[in-house]
Amino acid sequence: MIGLSHYLIVSAALFSFGILCVLTRKNAINVLMGIELILNAANLNLVAFSKYSSGKIDGQIFAIFIIVVAAAEAAVALAIILSMYRILRSVNLDRADTLKG
Amino acid sequence: MNPQILSDLKQFHPEIILTASVLLVVIGDIALVRIRRTLTFILAAAGLIAALIAGIRLFGQDPGTLFFGVLSLDPMSVFFKTFLILTSLFILFSVPGSKELSRRNLGEFYALLLGVTLAMVLLAASADMLMLYLALETVSIGSYILVGYLRNERQSNEASLKYLLFGAIATGTMLYGMTVIYGLTGTTKLAAIREAFLQGAAAGNNSAMLLIATVMVLAGFGFKMAAVPFHFWCPDVYTGAPTPVTAFLSIGPKAAGFAVLMRFFFTGFSGSAPGTGMYSGVSPVYWNAILILISVVTMTLGNIAALRQENMKRMLAYSSIAHAGYILMGAVVLNSQGLQSVLVYLVTYLFMNLGAFLVVIAVYNHTGSFDLNDYRGLMRRSPFLTVAMSFFMLSLMGIPPFAGFLGKLYVFGAAVNNNLAWLAVVGALNSVVAIYYYARVIKAMVIEESSDTTRVPLSLASQILLWLMLLPTAGLMFFWSGVERLTKASVALFMGL
Amino acid sequence: MDKNLLGQIVFYFFAALTIGSAAVVVFARSLVRSAFALLFTFFGVAALYAYLGADFLAATQMVIYVGGILVLILFGVMLTHKLYDLNIKTGSVQLIPSTIAVVAVFAFLAFFMLRTEWFRGDSVLSGPTTASIGNLLMQDFILPFEAASVLLLLALIGAAMIVRRRSE
Repeated sequence: MIGLSHYLIVSAALFSFGILCVLTRKNAINVLMGIELILNAANLNLVAFSKYSSGKIDGQIFAIFIIVVAAAEAAVALAIILSMYRILRSVNLDRADTLKG
Repeated sequence: MNPQILSDLKQFHPEIILTASVLLVVIGDIALVRIRRTLTFILAAAGLIAALIAGIRLFGQDPGTLFFGVLSLDPMSVFFKTFLILTSLFILFSVPGSKELSRRNLGEFYALLLGVTLAMVLLAASADMLMLYLALETVSIGSYILVGYLRNERQSNEASLKYLLFGAIATGTMLYGMTVIYGLTGTTKLAAIREAFLQGAAAGNNSAMLLIATVMVLAGFGFKMAAVPFHFWCPDVYTGAPTPVTAFLSIGPKAAGFAVLMRFFFTGFSGSAPGTGMYSGVSPVYWNAILILISVVTMTLGNIAALRQENMKRMLAYSSIAHAGYILMGAVVLNSQGLQSVLVYLVTYLFMNLGAFLVVIAVYNHTGSFDLNDYRGLMRRSPFLTVAMSFFMLSLMGIPPFAGFLGKLYVFGAAVNNNLAWLAVVGALNSVVAIYYYARVIKAMVIEESSDTTRVPLSLASQILLWLMLLPTAGLMFFWSGVERLTKASVALFMGL
Repeated sequence: MDKNLLGQIVFYFFAALTIGSAAVVVFARSLVRSAFALLFTFFGVAALYAYLGADFLAATQMVIYVGGILVLILFGVMLTHKLYDLNIKTGSVQLIPSTIAVVAVFAFLAFFMLRTEWFRGDSVLSGPTTASIGNLLMQDFILPFEAASVLLLLALIGAAMIVRRRSE
């Protein structure tokens, strides 16, 4: 039977891929994709827990709000990336280096 | 409509006013193009002042929760409500005096500032992880845009993009941790999470999972507070953002981060017998031990990195990281004395840090640079700015009789009184290190000479605002009992559902 | 029995689709390929939601993630690509050490997740969820619902402001 642990493994894998994407990719849009993977992992956790653990629907409602936030965040992120592209003509994070750390 | 919603709305006036003023500013910006520059400013200022008054009127309300346990209304949340709205009000008044921003149409800026203020107020009061996440993201997304407001300037854009990517990763990780807590306890409400822990939701094998989740959640809070190791964005973002936004980020969202940190761990992870002001952990995770570690690392790294900064904004960025470390010292002590010390520190920090940024804005308006070298000989060019900046620097050092000393006194006192004397010693050593880089600014202004001897002009509005920062910075010590009473009355957290 | 087996096969298919395409997102050389792999990840997650009985959420995932966010990301890829006809480099930094670290993170996370005894409530979710989600959004979660509208307003103002052409 498919149970909670199956979903948790999928979600842990998604989360790990998200982190890997964020760590290894330089391109801002690619980093954004990694962030979407992390958010999807969290959402999958919530829906799985909503069914198998709490038995209440509040987990699913939490997930809906996360989708809303993700959409808003992606819109703002791409706006900034586009604006930056006009200035830099490249979206690679390595080139974003006039601010030295 | 549900009668409870209607009755809750009566205690929701500050938020309603803020929402209404966001909408009014947006509409005014579009509808009345000819007078929009003044109109949007007046609308935003009126909204914030009205919200502040409505917030002050909430002092002394019976503690409880609003909107079905999503938001808590207690002395602590009312304190942060007024504190955060007041911060935004000061920032709003500093905007027209900043050359970086004042040439643009600022309607959107004001709308965003008001929206972020609303979200910070909600964040500081949220008693449910769903509300907490939503408010935190609203603060973040609004701040990303504010940082990138100078959209034709490369630095501002770059800062915004870095802030966004780092913030999204940090809050995403926090979110994953929160889902794990939801899986362990079956609820998103902080008070119910505490009850679940009391019934052993995280006992035995589960404690390891809770530890992982706690660390993940701290990534999000640490990002908001700019605590090490989640501070990487801080220097770059502070440097690239328009200076009023930098000042805002260093106070508003940081204070909101502390508010949510305290609420999350004190109501979700600890229990308290009513009236004692003592808290004790109910989960198997020693979250305060993690916070002690973060506090030590944060203040030390912040201070050491600040030593070699030549750019004032970068220096103040690292200084604000170090101050986050000091403030955390108060939050690790599990009683109301610790909570009170955090509040006192935040009050003093508001005035001295904002004051320092106001001087930075004034100098930038004249010289067009943030370089420490351009502060040379400021004594001759503007005695008032020099004296003001020296006061703010001395206060940030924690030298008596300035306000900063009061904050340090409370925080160190809370640590010493609770068997954390070594932490207070670390804090004191750090304060000694910090003297060097604050004193460097004073030295440049007073002792060093500059070939440039033109006077630095200062508008009347900027002067008034500077006085508003200067008087509390210099005089708060003499109203010590008032501060003590206000913060002591504000430490109570509502622990019920 | 037969139905059970079929269900398992369907689950494993979608789980493999989700994880496999997530791997493509991370390791693909070109940005466009990553974006299209992301489509399959979102789709796989939506299928898993449906499998979990979250019908409304599955639909939302399809509409917003696949229809909204992914299109946005593709726009980003295309616009930044076509506008200046630059090769978008997707070179990776320190791929091998971070892969090892992340595999360790995954093993660590999975190990503890399997060991943990998760909360078990008394109530059971069954049937369509849309009606109860709608009711809760107007009751218990009315404040987050309203706060989300402020968030969307801010994002709208901000995104429009940032991409607007220089006019002042």
